[in-house]
Amino acid sequence: MQFNREINRLMTGILFLLGIVALAATYWAVIGPDTLLQRQDNPRLVLAEEQIVRGTIVDRNGTELVTSTTNADGTLTRQYLYPEMSSALGYASIRYGVGGAEAAFNNILRGDNTQKDLLTQLSGDLLHRTQLGADIRLTFDLSIQQEAVKAMGNHAGSIVVIDVPSGQVLAMVSLPTYDPNTLDTNWETLTKAPGKPFFNRVLQGAYQPGIALQTPLMAAALLANYPLDTPIDQATQSVKVGDVTIQCVVKPPTDTLTLPQAYAYGCPYPFAKMVQELGFETIQSGFNTFNLDHPPTLTGYITTPADQATSEPKLLFGTDNFTDNALGQGKITVTPLEMAVITAAIFNDGNAPVPYSLLQTRQPNNDIWVDDKTIYSPVPMLTANSARQMQTIMQEAVQNGDAQNAAQPNLMIAGHAGLAYVGTTAQSWFIGFVSTGSNQGAAIAVVLEDTNDAGLAAKIAGQVLSTAHNYQMTTTPQPKGGA
Amino acid sequence: MTFIADIFTVKRESKPRTRRIESRLLIISALFLFVNFLALTLIRSDIQITEWVHLIVWILSAVIGSALLDRYLPGRDPLLFPITMFLSGWGLILIDRLAPAFAERQTVWLAVSVAAMLVVAIYPHILRWLRQFRYVLLLFGILLLLGTIILGTNPSGFANAPQLWLGFGSIFFQPSEALKIILVAFLASYLAEQYPAIRTGMLEGQGWHLSISPRVFGPIVLMWGICVLILVWQRDLGTAILFFTVFMLLLYVASGSNMVLISGALLIIAAGLVAYKAFPVVRLRMDIWINPWPEADGRAFQIVQSLLAFAAGGPFGQGVAQGSPTYIPVVHSDFVFSALAEEWGLLGIITVIACIGILVARGLQIAIQQERRSYLSLLAVGLTLLIAAQSFLIMAGVLKLVPLTGVTLPYLSYGGSSLLASFVIIGLLLRLSALEN
Repeated sequence: MQFNREINRLMTGILFLLGIVALAATYWAVIGPDTLLQRQDNPRLVLAEEQIVRGTIVDRNGTELVTSTTNADGTLTRQYLYPEMSSALGYASIRYGVGGAEAAFNNILRGDNTQKDLLTQLSGDLLHRTQLGADIRLTFDLSIQQEAVKAMGNHAGSIVVIDVPSGQVLAMVSLPTYDPNTLDTNWETLTKAPGKPFFNRVLQGAYQPGIALQTPLMAAALLANYPLDTPIDQATQSVKVGDVTIQCVVKPPTDTLTLPQAYAYGCPYPFAKMVQELGFETIQSGFNTFNLDHPPTLTGYITTPADQATSEPKLLFGTDNFTDNALGQGKITVTPLEMAVITAAIFNDGNAPVPYSLLQTRQPNNDIWVDDKTIYSPVPMLTANSARQMQTIMQEAVQNGDAQNAAQPNLMIAGHAGLAYVGTTAQSWFIGFVSTGSNQGAAIAVVLEDTNDAGLAAKIAGQVLSTAHNYQMTTTPQPKGGA
Repeated sequence: MTFIADIFTVKRESKPRTRRIESRLLIISALFLFVNFLALTLIRSDIQITEWVHLIVWILSAVIGSALLDRYLPGRDPLLFPITMFLSGWGLILIDRLAPAFAERQTVWLAVSVAAMLVVAIYPHILRWLRQFRYVLLLFGILLLLGTIILGTNPSGFANAPQLWLGFGSIFFQPSEALKIILVAFLASYLAEQYPAIRTGMLEGQGWHLSISPRVFGPIVLMWGICVLILVWQRDLGTAILFFTVFMLLLYVASGSNMVLISGALLIIAAGLVAYKAFPVVRLRMDIWINPWPEADGRAFQIVQSLLAFAAGGPFGQGVAQGSPTYIPVVHSDFVFSALAEEWGLLGIITVIACIGILVARGLQIAIQQERRSYLSLLAVGLTLLIAAQSFLIMAGVLKLVPLTGVTLPYLSYGGSSLLASFVIIGLLLRLSALEN
């Protein structure tokens, strides 16, 4: 009874303090999930990421390209089985994020959108089941991609092959590239590497087109009813554009050429003359039909050209120096995919296919592949008549002109090769297509950086188109044809 | 509701009822432990029998302890033993889950601790001895402390870790755990002798005069000196604060003077300010308490990860071994409360707080129950305060309510000497609760 007052006060005080502790715990337990757990330094976020079983990526024939394997300690390793595929597939790293197809179809591969019934959802949450991602089947063909990488050798540059008329991307090569299996250890070196290996040249490369721009110019001339049969004297003379002197890609047998002949030999002068005669408005509207200032995108992939300045509306940049621009030595830049789509439009009688790369998905623990439901409607660019005229002109270039190296025995290959000058160096272009039947086949764009040899670009393209042709002739078309 | 009311009332239970309450609570605890060990076994891919050894040792300790207490202390408090066993069993699960390598050791310590508790509770002369030999014990305690200062080691072997342990071969003991009981016993008997004079003096308005008399001032200086010694030589902030808080509160109960509380609080603040300037360890703890966020990946890593554990646990927790509390460094000793929050959620946290609240309430009721026997009453208060203050310091610490002080959470944290001391305290309280008036 002697200390009762003090002891009772002490009791009140201690119970009060314990109550405060309980309130503080309640505070963090209630507000924590929305604030604290989202912090970048919450290791649980990384752990959760590490436990997601990303889906497998297979090529159009079902060959496994990328798999996730579970290690002994429960962590997962993403395995990229073919080094040739890396510029098309990208990478998935806990530390550095995702790129390429891994980024484009990240939600599917992670299984974020997977439909789950309530029971699966509940048991997954309560028992902390690992999240399973869906598998994806892409439009790429391993053999074509491998042939493309092999043909490129040590050259920096890019190749893109698209199926016509579907628009499915069969191969997408950007060199130099990187090994996604060792990304975490080599990241610092790779980001500083001079060849920019993470830069997808097919989608992002803003290349000087040079003589490659003769194809849209030729089409513009057709659309403007420019006389094609008129011989032009001294057609082989060189043209000075800025500091650069452009000459014919191959030397023609005579000095007098028609415009289609000039196209076949890659001679610049008749085109400079034609551009002057037709005038700015006509050339501009001709380029507009090819959507030259809107490079095509590939769903999900990053396609913004790295050089933002050139992604402004370009076309001819006004009437000043518009001849330089029209001849591909001015401010106009194009992406390889853009040139491949233009070529495909010519081959497809004027309708440009929309390029895409996702064929099918397969839910986790399921054997059935489900078609991707997206419809890619082709975009009209040319009249069928002018497109067919262009096809003939481009066949002539392979048979007798600047793209002869692309020719393959018994194959109907058409195309155009040429150089573009960048400062003191040049890059070689080839655009063209191979036919497997009426308006069916594959279109290609090849760029070799720092290479003054249009014939080499044509030769590489010929090898790749041959592989593509063999593939297309021996395989039934994939379920998703062009709409 | 009557049960809750019972916790706070002085009521001696009938003997069969004591037995019934105790065994029911122990059975509930055993079921809880069984379910959790089962979950732990299932979640681990390699199923091992050894994990069940922990539960078997716990059950044996509970059965034997309960039987012996029934035989020798029939009039004891019915809640102290089962709640202590409940918390320490939970502690075994936590250590097995967080640091499996330490679990066997902790299980051995549990058996030793229960045995020590039984000896203290059953041996009839222990309370008298504590009083009779108080100066011998005090001397022994101070020698232990000095011994630690000179010979102290750290079982972890890190060069810069505080050397608070005495090692005998592979067994390490933290003398401050024994010292805290010895000092509480000493103060209780000393103040019990002096308190009538202090109280009378207060009543006659001689408060100021008395507070500087050696009779009152002496023990304060002694305790303050011990605390400073611990802080300066051992860098053991937690123990220093724990000792000082308990002594000031004990003095307050003995004297009934609010002045003691006020001056005690002022002394702690003053000491804190001086220590902030003088000791880097104190400065660190204060800085990261005030604002841990800018240094979340550096010096404040532990406390931020601790709060993340509370957030990750949410209301119901992630389930045993299904959270990630092991991101908190030394989670199994200082941050066991945070680990519990992540895996058992707020529900588990409130349960633990309630258990500690019940232990404190019963302990203080036992003090009131001693009526005019001031030594026994003050002893019960002091022992209860040790549990209460230590629990509060670490629970509030890991929640960033107060600066972190490295003390263990009684019964739940890993640590043999801590467990032993906490069980000895319960043994003494059980003995006190069984005394006839």
